[in-house]
Amino acid sequence: MPGPFEYFIWLSCTLLEIAVVVCALKKGAIRKYFLLNLYMAASVIVTGARFHVLTSRGFTSPEYVYLYYYSDALLTIFLYLALSSLYAHVFSELKAERYVRFGTLVLLAGTALFSYGVVHESTTKLISRFVVELSQNLYFVGLVLTYVLWAAILKLRETRTQLIQIVLSLGVYFSLFAADYALRNLYPSISSLFISLLQVFGCFLPLAWAYTFWRIPEDARIVPSRLAVVPR
Amino acid sequence: MSRKLTVVLLAMLVLAGAMSLKTVVVAHSDGSIIMANGGAPAPPTPWKNGGAPAPPTPWKNGGAPAPPTPWK
Repeated sequence: MPGPFEYFIWLSCTLLEIAVVVCALKKGAIRKYFLLNLYMAASVIVTGARFHVLTSRGFTSPEYVYLYYYSDALLTIFLYLALSSLYAHVFSELKAERYVRFGTLVLLAGTALFSYGVVHESTTKLISRFVVELSQNLYFVGLVLTYVLWAAILKLRETRTQLIQIVLSLGVYFSLFAADYALRNLYPSISSLFISLLQVFGCFLPLAWAYTFWRIPEDARIVPSRLAVVPR
Repeated sequence: MSRKLTVVLLAMLVLAGAMSLKTVVVAHSDGSIIMANGGAPAPPTPWKNGGAPAPPTPWKNGGAPAPPTPWK
């Protein structure tokens, strides 16, 4: 059962997610980054449902277990779509939105097929295994896609600060979870520390996006090559 | 047509890269990445969204402590 610290982090995370949507609304970025805000709004709604089921049914109840993993898969799909919308932003000048949409669907279908291929021989709980497998695989696809997008930003010399900040924070977010997992396996004796850190890391993305929408003007520009190349 | 095929090729490359990365990660893990069996509170998976605490995996049957996987 989660303790006061876990509840505090969970509440902070939810407030930050609400702050993202509010800041985007206030700064008029809600339409431009619609899928990002949809992901945050969905996360807030899912949090409400999770909290309700957790308090009414209990931490280890089947209701909470199913709700947690099924909603997690749903949120991962939302995050994947949000990431694809960032691709559409970066490649907008190349008029490649159509191809980005097509690629998004192909990759999602491919990931779903691969996930099914992994779990299809399971004799029990096939759908649940598929949902969790799809969620995991989409996480890794998102991780790779974020780094590919960062490479594209550097290559295309993208200058929109807001967009760069959003992509970079997404990269850091994915990397934090990956690093935490790696450290957890490297040092199993203190794995509980790394497990508790995961909740804290969950707050990073809404914090970074809220900051981006609130503090960085839409027309702000930066030269990303300066971030990657150290001048001599 | 060739552009669409290029997009399909790129998508498959990304998928292959991501699954290779996953395979490497899972191969070097203690198995906790996929399913959190055992009586202890389940560790959250690295791909979780939001700050909610993670419960055990949904396919755990019964309340008995889970043994190690047979292929370990």
